[in-house]
Amino acid sequence: MVIYLKAGGELRSRLQPDVDHYTRRVEAETGKTLSDILIGIGVSPAFVAFAFKDGQLKRLDYLPSDGDIITLQPPVSGG
Amino acid sequence: MANGLAGTTLRINLTTGDIRRLSTDEALYRRWHGGRGITAKILYDEVPRDADPLGPKNIFILNAGIMSGCYIPAGSKVEFGAVSPLTNGPGDSNMGGHLGPTLKFAGYDMIVFEGISPKPVYLFIDNETVELRDASGYWGMKSLDCEKKFKEDLGEDFEIATIGPAGENGILFSCITHDFGRQAGRTGQGAVMGSKKLKAIAVRGNKSLQVKDLDSLKKQVTGIILRTQKHPNMVPWQKYGTAFFIQWSNSNAVIPAYNFQTTFYEDIDKIDGDKLVEKCLITDKACFGCWMNCGKYTKAVIPGKPEVHLEGPEYETASLCGSNLGMKDINHVAYLNWLLDNLGMDSMSGGGVIAFAMECFQRGLIKDEDLEGHTLKWGSVDDVEHFLDMVAHRRGIGDWFAGGTKRAAAKIGRGSEKFAMQVKGQEMSGYDGRWAPGMLLSYMTADIGAHHNRSWTITVDMAEGRERVEGRAKIVVYLQHIRPLFDTWCICRLFWGELDITPEEIVESLNHITGWGISVDQALRTSEMIWNLNRCHYIERNRDIGRAFDHPPARAWEDKIPSGPGKGKGLSLAQIEKMLDEYYSARGWDKKGNPTRELLRDLGIDYAADNLEKLGFLGEPIPGGIPPVRGEKYKPKAF
Repeated sequence: MVIYLKAGGELRSRLQPDVDHYTRRVEAETGKTLSDILIGIGVSPAFVAFAFKDGQLKRLDYLPSDGDIITLQPPVSGG
Repeated sequence: MANGLAGTTLRINLTTGDIRRLSTDEALYRRWHGGRGITAKILYDEVPRDADPLGPKNIFILNAGIMSGCYIPAGSKVEFGAVSPLTNGPGDSNMGGHLGPTLKFAGYDMIVFEGISPKPVYLFIDNETVELRDASGYWGMKSLDCEKKFKEDLGEDFEIATIGPAGENGILFSCITHDFGRQAGRTGQGAVMGSKKLKAIAVRGNKSLQVKDLDSLKKQVTGIILRTQKHPNMVPWQKYGTAFFIQWSNSNAVIPAYNFQTTFYEDIDKIDGDKLVEKCLITDKACFGCWMNCGKYTKAVIPGKPEVHLEGPEYETASLCGSNLGMKDINHVAYLNWLLDNLGMDSMSGGGVIAFAMECFQRGLIKDEDLEGHTLKWGSVDDVEHFLDMVAHRRGIGDWFAGGTKRAAAKIGRGSEKFAMQVKGQEMSGYDGRWAPGMLLSYMTADIGAHHNRSWTITVDMAEGRERVEGRAKIVVYLQHIRPLFDTWCICRLFWGELDITPEEIVESLNHITGWGISVDQALRTSEMIWNLNRCHYIERNRDIGRAFDHPPARAWEDKIPSGPGKGKGLSLAQIEKMLDEYYSARGWDKKGNPTRELLRDLGIDYAADNLEKLGFLGEPIPGGIPPVRGEKYKPKAF
């Protein structure tokens, strides 16, 4: 399956976007968690606070589906 | 009228009632950039070193900075400053909302209060009209209730900053409240306001500000608006605010639980951001000039108690009044947030003080009979409500805790100092530094006492190795220069930290506003000058070598983390001392933590070196000289 991951800030530089400024196209096996997918592309899940898809929060144990567009939210750097 | 400035500074002697209008000194702004910069300078120059922070010789300052009120992202802040009764050093704290911009729209950049009023007063500003008015009818009112009453009496279009009973009663961690949920919470500025019998400041203004190059500013900022609206992290921010990050803090072993006894909270699901949105959220809320809307206006519903409305809890309060107190219901956390807000206490220090008292109760150091027959058990909102009432009104042992954890530990003794989680008298923010050494160093060295907004390094610690302390100091120094710049300019730092607005873009805006033509490096140098002036001021007031003030409580090195993903992790005292050595070296201070003449001369504040020398605390010359550049921008390794 193919999913699209988005991120800003330092996380963006780790994600290495290839679609547009914020977005990376990722090919992944169906049934893998978002956390596993991140590890597979070399992004430590520890730097992702939560994910966001279709206006809803998703934890890193979320199982993405083909075509998902998922924003990765970095931790707040002190409010 | 200078660009970006309203043009007038008010000097108000509360003892005599004299109100003076002075032309704002643009040169002072050019050198100190407003906000916490000018505050630091005025406090250094004008407050006698032996002045009681709650006495007539302390000065209380409001400053709206250069950028607040201008057409820039989140130019909403106002800075409060005074010598802190909590830390006995230069103190400052800021808030968003609408007060800062409105003060400038009324025509005023800064208000400097001196003396003590013989009776309760509030400052009334309606454009040209500036009056001290009788506040007897408001004295004793709680903060949120008082703000509402002022708006009813004066009009909805007045912006109000007020204190609650805590500030009136000299509780040293009292805050100033505005906009029904924005607080200048840190360093006890509310206690200073209360000591001066100044209940509130009410401002209405409808003038405009002049900027140097409006066309360029509009073009630049419109581009930023369009860009950030498309930023992938904007919508999550708008929807969830900051409270959502406590899950992340928990899974990464930095959240404080049970007064920083551990960094893992087993009931985190009951108090996290999901629960806040599900059970408490009423609507989103934004400050002046902000389209992020990270503020969450909420309600707390607890059977047997009145339904209350508040702003928050955001991350710091959710952690410090949630996991740190063992709370198991988000409504309870929100209710405590409201209690602290309405009493006029900083919810960060407040959470720290309550947690410290709870651990004292857990260990039998305080007992039911000390608590008027009540208990103080983890997770009990009723116990906390009663305890806070004792503190706010200084009843019984509530009086001990009214001075914060450091002073309470000095009263209680019996080893409690070890777990009074503060530095320089100010309680720690909502991150445990035992497995995040840079964060611990940030607390240890913050000029106003432990506070995350001077430097936040958790992800740096994670990327660089959480057991490793080497190399962390230079990054902390850099962060201590760049982050406080936002408090100097009086703008919110979230657009920089979270939405990729660069420091270069912000300085470009500053230049469009002022015409100063400065660089980021020059701004950082100004920030370093402010930092060092505050350091000198702290040493001059507290009369010891700097190093004497820079250690955390012993829990930081004696107790390993006992549970969760950080189980067994912790730092040694030797590692902590090593970090301090590296930090002082990176700053151009000597091994005792005292600034050197070479450094202070380089920064253009030689007079501070003269003053330190007279007291015997001037740093010894550094062999080979001071570093040419202090601090190092973090260049992340692969995450």
